[in-house]
Amino acid sequence: MSAIFSKQFDTKLRLAAGAIVLVLGAAGAVMGYLLHPKQFDTGYTPVQPVPYSHKLHAGNLGVDCLYCHYTMDKSSYAAVPMTETCMNCHVRVKEKSPKLQMVRDSYATGEPIPWVKVHRLPDYVYFNHQAHVTSGVSCVNCHGRVDQMVEIRQVQPLSMAWCLDCHRNAAPNVRPTEYVTKLDWKPEGDPAELGAKIIQAKGIHPPTNCSGCHR
Amino acid sequence: MNDFIQINPTSLTGKKYWRSLDQLANTPQFREWAEREFQDGASEMLSGGSRRTLLKLMAAGFGLAGLTACRRPVEHILPMSKGIEGYVHGVPSHYATVASVGGAAIGLIVKSFDGRPIKVEGNPRHPYSLGSTSAHTQALVLDVYDPDRVKGVSRKGKKASWDQFTGWWKQQASGLGDGSG
Repeated sequence: MSAIFSKQFDTKLRLAAGAIVLVLGAAGAVMGYLLHPKQFDTGYTPVQPVPYSHKLHAGNLGVDCLYCHYTMDKSSYAAVPMTETCMNCHVRVKEKSPKLQMVRDSYATGEPIPWVKVHRLPDYVYFNHQAHVTSGVSCVNCHGRVDQMVEIRQVQPLSMAWCLDCHRNAAPNVRPTEYVTKLDWKPEGDPAELGAKIIQAKGIHPPTNCSGCHR
Repeated sequence: MNDFIQINPTSLTGKKYWRSLDQLANTPQFREWAEREFQDGASEMLSGGSRRTLLKLMAAGFGLAGLTACRRPVEHILPMSKGIEGYVHGVPSHYATVASVGGAAIGLIVKSFDGRPIKVEGNPRHPYSLGSTSAHTQALVLDVYDPDRVKGVSRKGKKASWDQFTGWWKQQASGLGDGSG
């Protein structure tokens, strides 16, 4: 009976297996790099239904973060403002602008404006804005210089490793609560020193155990 | 070959029908044209397993087309259009109420999150229960989500509306006095 497998079949099979392992490994490494939150999530700048510019309102006009995101220091959600908040000014300011048509429609009909969520955390993570804001973590630490962004983009990866980096060493990121919404504030001395004093005084203990965030 | 369909059957009697002048002329070129199944320019079926290759490629293309959905899914935030006074999303609100359990009145404070009651606690100011609740009382929170709960106003068993109720109540209330003494 003739040979089913040629003499070189063994070598060819082993080479093929090695090649497959290499290709899969390379593909895994590339995907692991590309899908890491630091690569995948940062820079996400979705198109919003209304062309709202934080640079204009928070930057040039000086509207404080807390005016619109008023639940930031009261609740676990830092709510996107309701249409009524926009209409507080825009019932008179630029009242006929076509860019604000969606806002006016929403106010008239009661339908919400479908904002696109930029900073997403998975459902199995519990994040409480109030705990962070009242401890003295500024908006800029996680959201970047929002008052210079025309379109909001995510600047930090918001991965668990990134959160733990701060939770394990919070001092450089803690500031007095009066300056939480002052995004360009810099302390006189060493930020870590000042932060350490605040942590000591307030008794801030950021949780590093699993149930701190995975509730 | 198609012997049973002849372009120009000669054995039949009667009128000879033609569909084009070429057929009428019955030139050799026409006959050759008519008898070929596929005309010039039609791609020929290649030999070997090329049909299999074609099917493999089609299946692969079909499968890979699903990858076009590999984008980050869009999530929306839908805030209210007009706010509710005193309501902050994410902060639970507490309501004082009373429930009838076993015929007795139990004062309750119900914790409500996002408009949905989630926890029943006793109301310490209620003189009868003094803030205590039993297991039955704790289970009352499920009554709010009971699929068989009363969902609308009814009058004598027939479905009615809130307007009808307010109209009826105004009539009743007028005969009840002005609340003094």
